[in-house]
Amino acid sequence: MQYSIKVVGQALITTLQGELDLHTSPQFKADIAAKMEAYPDIKHLIFDVKNMSFIDSSGLGVILGRYREIQPRGGKMYFVQANPQIKRVLQVSGLHKISEFVNSSQEVLDRV
Amino acid sequence: METKNWIKLEFPSETVNVAFARTAIALFAAQLDLTLDELEDIKVAVSEAVSNSVIHGYQNNLGTIIVQASYGNGQLQIVVEDFGQGIPDIELAKETGYTTIPQERMGLGLTFIYEYMDDVVLTSQVNQGTKVTMKKNVPNQES
Repeated sequence: MQYSIKVVGQALITTLQGELDLHTSPQFKADIAAKMEAYPDIKHLIFDVKNMSFIDSSGLGVILGRYREIQPRGGKMYFVQANPQIKRVLQVSGLHKISEFVNSSQEVLDRV
Repeated sequence: METKNWIKLEFPSETVNVAFARTAIALFAAQLDLTLDELEDIKVAVSEAVSNSVIHGYQNNLGTIIVQASYGNGQLQIVVEDFGQGIPDIELAKETGYTTIPQERMGLGLTFIYEYMDDVVLTSQVNQGTKVTMKKNVPNQES
């Protein structure tokens, strides 16, 4: 599992590669939480999942936890180029109702 | 079920073995006429069941997890078993969003298993362990 986390304006852009599960999610959770703590103005979460090959409920838990932080600020959550497996997991979990599927991070940055 | 082929995996409840288990079972399942989406379903279901054994069954202490897979008569069967603390109330555990550790978990593990597999039987005894038996129909399989 590899990832990069960067801040652009009020958006946190996380690019994920590999598999996010019980083993890989704790470190990811610690890193993304630290970044959000350092930038308390972050309002929007963009997850570039184009190269993410697998996610289960452990990974979704980390994502939902971060959404709960931005929700009171009126923020939104976006998934860039989710493959069918990722989309289905998001749909079964109900996370698709509180997020948007997009083609690029730039598409979101142009809007927010 | 007339078993045509089977495997048995036994490993300690280390989190790193969750990926091993789902990948190994997906490789075994790939012997069957399944779509890529169906193989992904199986990976998620195995990942959730093994994760449950690690987190809930053994509460992150070390224990043994056994995963068995077999196929025959148009069905793939996967059994994930631990010998941990067990589930006191199975019906409650099956409810979407129910979790014993709400600050960390979404309570979706069993929901995914039931959603992604065609037939699921969950048995558990407190202080004895938990066994999840899940089946996926493979209608195009001759065997």
